[in-house]
Amino acid sequence: MKNLIDKVVVGPLRNVVGKLESFLPNLLTGLLVFAAGLLIAWLVKLLAIRIVRLLKLDAVFARSGLTDALQKMAVKDTPAKLVGRMFFWLVAVVFSILSLSVMKVPVIDGLLERFLLYLPNVFVALIVLAIGWFLGNFLGRAALIASVNAGVGVAGLLSKGVKTVVLLFAFVMAFDELGIGRNTVVAAFAIVFGGAVLALALAFGLGGRGLARRYLEKRFGKNAENGSDEIRHL
Amino acid sequence: MPALNADPSSGERARIAGLENVDILVGIPSFNSARTIGHVVRAVEAGLTKYFPGRRSILVNSDGGSSDGTADAVRGASVDFDSVLLEQKSGGFHKLVTPYHGIPGKGSAFRTVFEIARELGVKACAVVDSDLRSITPEWLELLIKPVLEEGHDYVAPFYLRHKYDGTITNTIVYPLTRALYGRRIRQPIGGDFGFSGRLAAAYLEKDVWETDVARFGIDIWMTTTAVAGGFKVCQAFLGAKIHDAKDPGADLSAMLHQVVGSVFDLMEEHAGTWRNVRGSEPVPTFGFAYSVGLEPIQVNLRRMIEKFRIGVRELGPFYGLFLPEDVQGVLADLAARPDRKSFVYPDDAWVRTIFHFALAAHRKLVSREHIIKSLTPLYLGKVASFVIETWDCGAAEVEGRLEELCLSFERDKGYLIERWDGKD
Repeated sequence: MKNLIDKVVVGPLRNVVGKLESFLPNLLTGLLVFAAGLLIAWLVKLLAIRIVRLLKLDAVFARSGLTDALQKMAVKDTPAKLVGRMFFWLVAVVFSILSLSVMKVPVIDGLLERFLLYLPNVFVALIVLAIGWFLGNFLGRAALIASVNAGVGVAGLLSKGVKTVVLLFAFVMAFDELGIGRNTVVAAFAIVFGGAVLALALAFGLGGRGLARRYLEKRFGKNAENGSDEIRHL
Repeated sequence: MPALNADPSSGERARIAGLENVDILVGIPSFNSARTIGHVVRAVEAGLTKYFPGRRSILVNSDGGSSDGTADAVRGASVDFDSVLLEQKSGGFHKLVTPYHGIPGKGSAFRTVFEIARELGVKACAVVDSDLRSITPEWLELLIKPVLEEGHDYVAPFYLRHKYDGTITNTIVYPLTRALYGRRIRQPIGGDFGFSGRLAAAYLEKDVWETDVARFGIDIWMTTTAVAGGFKVCQAFLGAKIHDAKDPGADLSAMLHQVVGSVFDLMEEHAGTWRNVRGSEPVPTFGFAYSVGLEPIQVNLRRMIEKFRIGVRELGPFYGLFLPEDVQGVLADLAARPDRKSFVYPDDAWVRTIFHFALAAHRKLVSREHIIKSLTPLYLGKVASFVIETWDCGAAEVEGRLEELCLSFERDKGYLIERWDGKD
């Protein structure tokens, strides 16, 4: 009976205690690394906020339209705080990975390896989105100014269209980089984009015949309704 | 009159150097100007013969690779001296047809002219456009004599123009450069100038030949460099300027970007100079002023005001990045006025508009090109307002109205200086 109890209860208990004894120091070290990481992340966050404010990047973000866009998405933080928060989580995640790795748990090691291999894709996707954001804003504004100067009444709509297409393109590229619904996203983009172009062509061809005729008459007709300017600006 | 066909960067330089004791150089930049350049060459030769008979002179055609026979037109142009009651001088007048190098544009063409002027050590130079139809031999006298006989370094042109001709010059370039540099040069971007050999050499010292100056900003650059550099400047009354329309379909916003962008660039370069200038003073004016009937100009006010309204409506948030609230208020109020007669863009608001565009470009708030091109609808608003105000006015009254605008720029200059140095 005693042998049975030793074999069924005490033996496994000894094993567990032994494993706990060997794991506890790793756990403690891991927790310490994690706590230190949180502290460092907090310091890095403060430093990042200070640098952003020193460089007056808040104003730059405001001018680029980023602040407005964030507010529209119900993000109440200023871009400076947002950058600080990003740095906080970046450092916190790095130290979390480090602390898990210190604990030497095989399953976690495997997960970590896959996560670390995937991380570059996340960074590339973020960079693609950031470039898409700035390019979308830049081209949208260029389209807005050009169409206003051409006297196009729906300049705002055109500008938003250009910006949306660029952003959509950036999102498709980002999702492609992340490997999320690769084929579906590309196919959906092609369908939406092609459909939009076809719709515009049909709309102009059918609905805009009169407009096109008036434009051509005005441009090339002998008796233009509104006389052209003869002002020499220079 | 021997005609040289030369590339000044190669062996022909030696031939140029062979021309000694040349006093006067007249440069004509050209590109596919075969139709008009002959008249300009004849006027130059007649002018030099008539007004500078004892001087050796050279005409330099700095060409941008014309394919329409411009060079042949220059070589073949000759004056019928009997019909203009002149006696041909022998050996005193030379023609040089040379391609220019570098970035294609009027500035690069002028650079070649400056280089030849320096190489020959000429005393006075003039440059005239190749598409001029109203140039007369008297233009040469007026552009060159102030340099040769009065000791001036720079002669700006003063043309007779229709009251609605040159509206960028009238509403932006003239008032702004006058307020900045304190000299009342009425046509700072006229296109035809006289200058001394000393100033030509000074121009060559500047490292601008790979920039926009080489392309299109050369006129305002030459004027500003002469004024800011402390050279002795004057202007000459040349009468009416009639020339071939340059690309009538040219985009207004691109034109504004080129011209106003050049003025803003020069503000950066000469900030140390204009910050210390207050008020303005006239410059000596040579020539016999007269008036002529100018052909009426058709103006489409409705379209200009419509473009202004679209601009204020669509670009409002963008203007909000750099225009103060009071100016934005004026713009919104103006855009909402249904009555054309009450469409008046006040001078004070216009001055602040231009100053804040200059400040936004200076601080590089957003893309510089976007800033300057977004000025187009506001500029059209100001032109429309100016046309409405001066519709029934004569030339003298319009000039008086422009004088008021210039004084507004001068009075408010302190506001610009304060903000240029950092105040928001």
